[in-house]
Amino acid sequence: MKKTYYLFNAGRMSRKDNTLKFTPVDENGIEGQPKYIPVEGVSDFYCFGALDANSALYNFLGKEQIAVHFFDYYEHYTGSFMPKDYLLAGKMQIAQMKHYSNKTKRLTIARTFVEGATFNIIKNLRYYQSRGKDLAGLIEIIEGYCIQIQYATEIEMLMGIEGNIRQVYYTAFDTILNDFAMNGRSKQPPKNEVNALVSFGNMMCYSLCLGQIHHTQLNPTISFLHEPGYRRYSLALDLAEIFKPILVDRVIFKVLNKKEIQAKDFDVQVNSVVLKDTARKVFVRTFEERLSETIKHRSLNRNVSYKHLVKLECYKLTKHLLEMETYKPFKAWW
Amino acid sequence: MYVILVYDIGEKRVGKMLKLCRQYLNWIQNSVFEGDITEVKLKELQQRAKSIMKVEEDSIIVFKSRDLKWLEKEIVGKEKNELTNFL
Repeated sequence: MKKTYYLFNAGRMSRKDNTLKFTPVDENGIEGQPKYIPVEGVSDFYCFGALDANSALYNFLGKEQIAVHFFDYYEHYTGSFMPKDYLLAGKMQIAQMKHYSNKTKRLTIARTFVEGATFNIIKNLRYYQSRGKDLAGLIEIIEGYCIQIQYATEIEMLMGIEGNIRQVYYTAFDTILNDFAMNGRSKQPPKNEVNALVSFGNMMCYSLCLGQIHHTQLNPTISFLHEPGYRRYSLALDLAEIFKPILVDRVIFKVLNKKEIQAKDFDVQVNSVVLKDTARKVFVRTFEERLSETIKHRSLNRNVSYKHLVKLECYKLTKHLLEMETYKPFKAWW
Repeated sequence: MYVILVYDIGEKRVGKMLKLCRQYLNWIQNSVFEGDITEVKLKELQQRAKSIMKVEEDSIIVFKSRDLKWLEKEIVGKEKNELTNFL
């Protein structure tokens, strides 16, 4: 319902008359026509261009529960401005802690994350299999790994299986994509066009999950599959794992195979490939369309958007932690 | 819910009304706003608008539609404010 705004142009955001005013600024520093953004209809901002703002604005955004996610020139996620936690719940934190520190409990949750992710990966491959791409061999390999998930006794083993699955999955990219090749995953920096898109897409998915976790009582720093404690909000990484195949990868296949993003939309440098502004805009727009797409939810018996699915996932996890209902990962059922 | 809101307000109070509406909806033309809004937020807006208005003189009309897709919008001449969430 509330909208996500994407800021590509450089400009100044300010608080004006209790709402938001965005004044774009061009390369010569000349201010353009200001635009007013209805503050009641904003869920968060994704900031790709240079944003000018002062603390008065952030105080206001904090009060209105609006998050701002920042990305640097190379579209790496650099951080977020998060409003003060407003759904504090000690009980939830303690439950989360308990599930983390108990090895079997932690493993149960971690396993479901990997299961969910793998299921959605296979779903993707099956879809393209039905569209005439030869992926049967790869699906079989992944299914083989899938059986191992339930026997994993250590988190590291689980991560290993997950890594193997992803490696096989990424080789499938070469078959699915018509004009591009991936040649394995490379990051920091991505070495080719597909890798650049995957990195960018994963960051978008990650900040989406973080934003949704923030609207629940979960603590985003305590995670189960990824090791918590260092670097970033790792629970968002856990959740993103499940949603990456259906939200990010499908969008990548779409924009590349439909030639919405082409080779000329990338800035190829010696050791890295960066998306140009045009490519970024196309990707973000398609991603946003994907998020607002709705599907009929089977147990809720109503239509929900993909974005809302992420939040529902948080709720399911909450219920599991409070031992009300066993957590079942989201699996694309259509 | 997608709404179009138009107001006709006495000169003295019109500035206040503009500022209020900007918080909830997108300005598209003088005295005309449109946008996605929940029923509760719309009630809140109307309540706050009433406190600004002189009910005997001023008026606000809200056209409601279930969704933007049930609304055909045609612009003749210059579009004063293009609505987008990509800035």
